[in-house]
Amino acid sequence: MQSGDVIALRVAGWGTEYLEDTSHRRLVLEYYDREQLPLRRYLLCLGVDQENCREILQETFLRLHQHLLAGGDQTNLRAWLFRVAHNLARNSQTAFHASRTGPLADAMTAGELASGGASVEDELLAKERTVRLHRAMQELSAAQRECLVLRSQGLKYREIAGVLNLSTSTVGENIQRGLERLKDVL
Amino acid sequence: MNVPDHLTDDLLVRAFDDELSDREEILVNAHLPGCEGCRQRYGAVRQLSGRIESVIAAGVPDALPNDRDALVERLEAAHVRPAPLPVGRSALRSFRWIGPIAAAVLLALLFVPRLARLLSENPTTASQDRPSATFEVDGETFIPLPYSNPDLPMSAPHIVEMQVPVASLASAGVMFEPVSNEAMASDRSVLADVLVGLDGQPLGVHVLSVE
Repeated sequence: MQSGDVIALRVAGWGTEYLEDTSHRRLVLEYYDREQLPLRRYLLCLGVDQENCREILQETFLRLHQHLLAGGDQTNLRAWLFRVAHNLARNSQTAFHASRTGPLADAMTAGELASGGASVEDELLAKERTVRLHRAMQELSAAQRECLVLRSQGLKYREIAGVLNLSTSTVGENIQRGLERLKDVL
Repeated sequence: MNVPDHLTDDLLVRAFDDELSDREEILVNAHLPGCEGCRQRYGAVRQLSGRIESVIAAGVPDALPNDRDALVERLEAAHVRPAPLPVGRSALRSFRWIGPIAAAVLLALLFVPRLARLLSENPTTASQDRPSATFEVDGETFIPLPYSNPDLPMSAPHIVEMQVPVASLASAGVMFEPVSNEAMASDRSVLADVLVGLDGQPLGVHVLSVE
């Protein structure tokens, strides 16, 4: 908002609450543009279906708006978003139970993966390897899979710990053991 | 896997994730350049991590454009409307963060002497006999008082209902209709809305009732 807008609002007698809310909404949309894809990846990997994923995302960012309006802590909103999305997914009936047949698995079996421009044999090998890796990820414990997915979205161990309500050392162990199992598959 | 005289897998993974303590970082930086085996294992961690990222990213379709539009609409529906300044008794009710009683007592203590002083110093600025000297805030008419910074925005919680000594108002030339000798007695007070600026100075007064 430009200073001229602020003055116009003051002239119109609009209160500071409106000005703050406008600023909060803009911040929410900035975070949406930046984080909706990593959040969707995480939710889909949890086994949330597409429709629920969309609804959880909407609800997550509406809660961010409420959080900002209430003067909530803004020190790490990215981790906050993942935590809220995680909790919303956990509350939904379908999440955490459909991980083996989720949309990600459907996409894999339907051969929707990007080929990368390699030869046909290389493509097939890469696709086969990716499918195996994906299946192996579904065999991990929920905590290991969640830690690995959050890690892949760039969260630090202490942030993952905050999202999943685990200790930082437990996050490290889950990542370590998860990688160990996936390495064996490959 | 722990390999004697080599870095553990745990250290290599945390090195890749930039999660080492200062001491561990020194250890890894000292060991890794000179150990081909550990470098290969470190490379394997990096490769596996990259593949995991690819797997996670691969099956996720792009967001629908109307998802963002839907969020904008829902935010718009939920947003704080430009609130009109509450008038009269509703103003006091909007004092959410302070109990009404505590607020009234505190502000009365703070502002009555100041209001009296300001009114007596600037008797010409406040008069209900001259409508042009008044101003309106969302339907409520206030008699203006000297104000330190008129550029400050006015906001809803800053209207307070309080008792103002009649003597202060009378000295400022504020008259009531109908004029009542009893009401104008110098030891009486009137119920009034006082509009307070964000800098804490009284901006205007609106007499609500005479006791």
